[in-house]
Amino acid sequence: MPTSVPPSDPGPDSGRSKFTAKLLRGGTEPDPRFTLANERTFLAWIRTSLALLAGGIAVEAFTSDLLGPGIRKTTAILLLVLAMVIGAGAFFRWLNVERAMRQKAPLPLPVIAPILAIGGALVGAIFVVFVILRPV
Amino acid sequence: MMASRRNVPEHRDPGLQPERTSLAWGRTTLAMVVAAAIFLRWMPHHGLFTGVLIALTLLAALVINGTQRVRYHRAVHGIANETIHADVVAVLFTSLSVVVLGALGIYTVVFLPVPG
Repeated sequence: MPTSVPPSDPGPDSGRSKFTAKLLRGGTEPDPRFTLANERTFLAWIRTSLALLAGGIAVEAFTSDLLGPGIRKTTAILLLVLAMVIGAGAFFRWLNVERAMRQKAPLPLPVIAPILAIGGALVGAIFVVFVILRPV
Repeated sequence: MMASRRNVPEHRDPGLQPERTSLAWGRTTLAMVVAAAIFLRWMPHHGLFTGVLIALTLLAALVINGTQRVRYHRAVHGIANETIHADVVAVLFTSLSVVVLGALGIYTVVFLPVPG
């Protein structure tokens, strides 16, 4: 009794869920190494977002002796908002890179990179001003 | 081809892509556990709602850790077959987890009163 399995349909959407096929339409599957590299880059952004989240939690938890409630809540919320923006942006960055690779198009620039730079600098500046103005 | 799925999967990628990707997911769950640990410090200030935040953070880490094996096997077979389907569900889940945790954190800081 022959047991050979007929080769599966090599169409672009074979084996992909409808959801995946809808989000990543058209094009051809990129080199699997590039897909995995994109996934790792996404995870690096997510860990950045988690570090901002941890920073926001820490500012709220540890600085009550040092900072007044206003500046404490402002910086904590700023860090948490930044964590949300980077976390959500990481998904769209991943999606856009995956789409570009499917179309063999140039990779898009990371919009979340300047957001992280400006946000991080802003939080840093707030603390620098606080340290300078703090009564000794 | 299907029979090899049951064995320990092998690949011929000297770049060790499946292993590095698996470790990247592992580091991400560790970062979640660290965030959950720092959330513990909110307990005295923000009360029991902090427990919900900690439980959700650890749950996200557990879900990722529990699916590590599946992802590693998919990656190895993807390298071996020279094609892999992008893991939209895992990426979307992780991104949404961080966004929800951030939103609940902001809610806590803004609306839950600090006693004393």
